[in-house]
Amino acid sequence: MSANATQNIAIEIKRCRPLLGTFVEITARGGSPEMLSDAITAAFSAVEKVMALMSYHDPFSELSRVNGKAARAPVQVSEWTFRVIEQAQRLAAESDGAFDVTIAPRLASWGYLPRNPSNSRAERLARWSDVELLPGRLVHFRRPLHVDLGGIAKGFAVDRAVDALRSAGVREGLVNAGGDLRAFGDSEWPVQIRHPRDPLAGGHAFALRDSAVATSAAYFSRKRWRKCWVCPLVDGRTRLPCDDTLSVTVHAPDALLADALTKVVFALREKSAPILQRHNASALLLDCAGQCAFIAEEKSVPARA
Amino acid sequence: MKANVFLLTPAALLGSAVAGHGVNYMNVAQAQQAIFPGKAMTAAEVKLTSEQRKEIERQGGIRQRSDTVKAWRVAGGGWFIVDEVLGKHEFITFAVGISADGSVHGIEIMEYLETYGDEVRNAKWRAQFTGKTKSAPLQLDKDIRNISGATLSSRHITDGVRRLLAIHDVALKSR
Repeated sequence: MSANATQNIAIEIKRCRPLLGTFVEITARGGSPEMLSDAITAAFSAVEKVMALMSYHDPFSELSRVNGKAARAPVQVSEWTFRVIEQAQRLAAESDGAFDVTIAPRLASWGYLPRNPSNSRAERLARWSDVELLPGRLVHFRRPLHVDLGGIAKGFAVDRAVDALRSAGVREGLVNAGGDLRAFGDSEWPVQIRHPRDPLAGGHAFALRDSAVATSAAYFSRKRWRKCWVCPLVDGRTRLPCDDTLSVTVHAPDALLADALTKVVFALREKSAPILQRHNASALLLDCAGQCAFIAEEKSVPARA
Repeated sequence: MKANVFLLTPAALLGSAVAGHGVNYMNVAQAQQAIFPGKAMTAAEVKLTSEQRKEIERQGGIRQRSDTVKAWRVAGGGWFIVDEVLGKHEFITFAVGISADGSVHGIEIMEYLETYGDEVRNAKWRAQFTGKTKSAPLQLDKDIRNISGATLSSRHITDGVRRLLAIHDVALKSR
């Protein structure tokens, strides 16, 4: 590495904005401070665009338009929204419905999503396979239902932010959206996983390089509902909450996969190994007692510099 | 190379336990530039009367603890305000730009401190950080701050922004 390039990476700009319902922190290296800051602004804009398209809460989002109309007639969507639903459907098929973007009525009944006046019995029975994707970026619902991309769109937003940084010429960086992280470039980034029992104290640490990691856990979101503990992590097959004492961390080539696969691992545990392997991903489970379990090995791990 | 990625120990890890983490993102001047690039700003002394505080609480829906506002008037219209929120797990200093028409122009997090609320509420514990923001960066910054874990909600910021919009409406826009 030339002296010039080394010096270049020494300049680091880090900014943070409240987006996606959490904090999105972007670190960029390799350029002048002005260039890096402008690139980060562009990356935040990409995240905002994903929100504007795929927010379940925003009544004016593209997703809300689809949810309101796609049961009556196919609705054409943007390339980004189509890609995310396509990926979600692929993971749903691979996991036999453990990952399911139609669980919104369940989450709404527990108060994690706004209730819909149309929350009918027919809608509660809807499954991922009732969502149909047609040529020409058309989305059609075979029965009334609501799609919620909360388990996958955050990862996609991180990937789009990384794209924006790269196309602005940033040499290396890290995008962290409330625990969904993706690093790009040559450097290694130390990443710490929260401990499920003591989420604010130190936990397992490892090195992330040119790939993504996401953790799902219920330690900040679980609550009582009619004498039961519930959490927003739901097994799509049974519609029951997953074990809220665990944390699941997935390492994958991109953030969309890492984000969505955490939900698959939560529901399927060890049985998720073939799915993880297919996507060149692996998982780490942490329980409250501090026990670790690893699922799947990766074909290749980026070599250390 | 076939390996377990989670067992790759980070070279930068010093083995120190982390008791919460904190990051300084930007100072006031940098936040002003990020939200209103190239605009001149004038600091404004804003003291809220008790009537104004009541009206702000009514509009914003949450308590207005302080009677002073850290505000700057933006040349050509608009306001820049620095404020803090204290959540269950976090203490955050943030900046909001408000356009001349009263809409949010931009939000930047200036300082983020994640910890247990009790520690933050403890004035003595807080005191070790006050006055350090500009001259000496927080030592916590040297710890590992790339944390993968369940989401900390930014709802407190949303509430905080709503309160600042109420402050703008009650005390700033007519100045």
